[in-house]
Amino acid sequence: MALDYDVPEDKRALYWLGDQLIEWRNPVMVLVLIVTGLFAYWTFQLRLVTSFGDLVPQSHEFVKIHNKYSGTFGGANNIVVMYSVEDGTIFTKEHLTAIFKMTEGMDTVYGVNHNQIESIGHRTVRHLKVAAGGTLRAEPVMLRAPQGQDEVDETRRIVHNAENVYGLIVSLDDKSALIRANFIEGRLDYQRIFDDVNSKVIDPFKKDGVEIYAAGEPRLYGWVYKYSGDVFFILVVTYCIEWVLRWMYFHDWRGSLRPTLTGIIAAFWGLGFIHLIGLALDPLMLVMPFLITARAVSHAIQMHDRYYEEFEKCGWHKRRAIVAAFAELFVPTFSGITTDAFGVLVIILVPVVMLQKLAITASWWILAITVSEMLLNPIVYYYLKPPEPELVVLRERGAFRRWIERFTHVLLSPAGKTTTLVFWAALTLVGVFFMRGLTIGDPTSASPLLFENSPYNVSHTKIQESFGGVEPLIVVSEGYDKDAMKDPQVLRTMEKFQRQLERDPDIGYSFSLADIIRAVNRVFHELEPKWAVIPDSWTDIGGLFFIFFSGSPPTETAKYVDPSYTTAHVTFFAKNHQGDNIRRIIQRCKNFIAENPMEKASFKLAGGLIGVLAAANEELVRNDILMNFLGFFTIWIILLFTYRSFVCGLYILGPLIASNILVNAYMAVNNIGVNIHTLPLVTVGVGFGVDYGLYIISRIIEEIQVKGDLDHAVREALVTSGKAVTFTAVTMIVSTAFWITSNIRFNAEMGLLLAIWMSVSYVGSQTLLPVLVAVFKPKFITREANTKAPKPALAAAARQA
Amino acid sequence: MHLDLWNSVAIVFGFSVLVIALDEYVAKPWRHKRWEERAQSGDKEAQELLKVARSAKVSNE
Repeated sequence: MALDYDVPEDKRALYWLGDQLIEWRNPVMVLVLIVTGLFAYWTFQLRLVTSFGDLVPQSHEFVKIHNKYSGTFGGANNIVVMYSVEDGTIFTKEHLTAIFKMTEGMDTVYGVNHNQIESIGHRTVRHLKVAAGGTLRAEPVMLRAPQGQDEVDETRRIVHNAENVYGLIVSLDDKSALIRANFIEGRLDYQRIFDDVNSKVIDPFKKDGVEIYAAGEPRLYGWVYKYSGDVFFILVVTYCIEWVLRWMYFHDWRGSLRPTLTGIIAAFWGLGFIHLIGLALDPLMLVMPFLITARAVSHAIQMHDRYYEEFEKCGWHKRRAIVAAFAELFVPTFSGITTDAFGVLVIILVPVVMLQKLAITASWWILAITVSEMLLNPIVYYYLKPPEPELVVLRERGAFRRWIERFTHVLLSPAGKTTTLVFWAALTLVGVFFMRGLTIGDPTSASPLLFENSPYNVSHTKIQESFGGVEPLIVVSEGYDKDAMKDPQVLRTMEKFQRQLERDPDIGYSFSLADIIRAVNRVFHELEPKWAVIPDSWTDIGGLFFIFFSGSPPTETAKYVDPSYTTAHVTFFAKNHQGDNIRRIIQRCKNFIAENPMEKASFKLAGGLIGVLAAANEELVRNDILMNFLGFFTIWIILLFTYRSFVCGLYILGPLIASNILVNAYMAVNNIGVNIHTLPLVTVGVGFGVDYGLYIISRIIEEIQVKGDLDHAVREALVTSGKAVTFTAVTMIVSTAFWITSNIRFNAEMGLLLAIWMSVSYVGSQTLLPVLVAVFKPKFITREANTKAPKPALAAAARQA
Repeated sequence: MHLDLWNSVAIVFGFSVLVIALDEYVAKPWRHKRWEERAQSGDKEAQELLKVARSAKVSNE
């Protein structure tokens, strides 16, 4: 069937396109179904994986140092297990046996670096023993599980005299012992490590009077994986709620089904693409796909609403109604999708692989909505039976419509306009005041990924209480030549570095080669405390190192110093990883390094968890403002081309910027920091907030073209598109807010944050945007007045009805 | 109850079928009957809206 009826001249091409899609419905449908089938197949191959290397900015100097030395000096992926007794001390046969066997268990956990386990039950933790004839040798603290009380007493004596053990892996009150294990970054399987640690290290040794706590990044991600099954519960509940809400709004099951089809097809295209390009889903990013699907559903609701409206206007002619809905909503829908997609794409600027992957996949996914929403939309409607006229008529005159009309009347009254402008100005000022407290990095000492009372955070706190600090910051002392680490000045500077940084309230303790040399020197001089110093000559130092390391294979000594004595490290154990604290600690390190140059070596920042977090935070600070600017600028450029107006962007972005300020203020007040997990979601929020405004502005232009009256156009836009926007916003806010039920605090907070973002954006688009248009009468809208006659065919149809 | 991918799919599919069935066989007849009763009892708005709806000639093309 040709386009043999009158259509608006400026949109003839779009009407023709909609009509042709119906004309060629069978081949188009088959093609889309085949491609969707392929993507669906790839979707089911997708796995939940977190790659640690993807989470850190690989181009940052700190990360380069971390990567270079993490294999020997220890990486960021440590698990710390604390064995703690309620009564007495750990120095009993029963407890020491348990610690020894737990250490053996840890040595068999998948991915563990066997040379980087620290425990009194591990071969790499040694003490100096004076043998017969006055010779010294380094022996493991425990060679086996104690067989009797004499071996227990001997172990206690060794621990109390070993500077590298007492206070570091056995608490000063003798009630707790640590087993610290480093994991190889290329073999991080968080789920498997989590299960292995439970079955081999924790569960067999649980008993009355003993508490076992486990912390560290791999453990944290293990918990996150464990809780990620929540997503199915959230998905099912929100799906059901959305179906009921849409049925209540449209009074018809087709209104529930159609947006679902859009969401499912877009989800297959998005998730399948993620697998196709060799990526995986991060459990901490599950809110993102959910949000994009919700966005697809949201566009579909707008289209469905318009279809019903056009069905009545077109004299109950299904095909004409479908084509009209497609053509009239093409501009705002397509602009909305492109602003969303390109808004997200700016995340690619942050040099963190995970964010770059996310930017590409999210952009693709959003662009895939064009297929499910625009290409397939006319065809699916054509296949479905049209709604009953009675239903459409009654729905258009329902209570929801009357409520919107009343609200619009109040909003566009002189008092309503003034109140709206004053309200938004005041709210924005309050937001600006509070957003100054926004933190880059984590704002709390516990992990913000899980709730404070979660088993992980409880464990983390308990270990911190007993040992002062478990999160390593590794500063590498890189020599210019071999044997540089035997230089007294280098060792003294390392020691000075330790003492100076230990004054920071958030550094628990530190360890370096200097500690070993002092301890060995003291033992060598019959435990006289005055000899616990660094010798003056490198030959003495070399001799002492020989005594300590001669009995150990290079794989064991490498965790302290490389075999040529060129490079060693100073490791500080921080009490937390709060963004502000990391920044201060790193600055203190930089100050010390600048003030204390060494002749034969130099300090390089920084490895360990604190080092890589510092790098990530520095990149976020560097890119946050740029990304926000580019996000808004991209939207402005798209609006410029869509509406051929420089100021249009300002009208739509105004409420969006106010929303941005308010959400940042909310984050600051609620201690939610900007980090690599929150940043993409916040950026997505910017893109998504713009859609509501686009539908309103497009409808205002559409109405003023026919009636010529701006005030009428704004009212009509609010009661038609505004009604659909209101419903869309409600459903999106409800479904996103349901994430607060997640056991993963990060997902719960992000769900709530995005719900707040969408609420504020929605309120801005329904109040501030129309009031700004009504008050300032922008030219890009008023120039369109009376440029189009009423649709003759539609008017005739309406008369006929 | 522990939900995984497949029982989640089963639940949402079952729920969708239930909503469609309830809408077609319960809600729509009930709504129609209610407006008919309102119109018969003299409600002008109901009479007018039903008149518009009944006079509509739907083109399924």
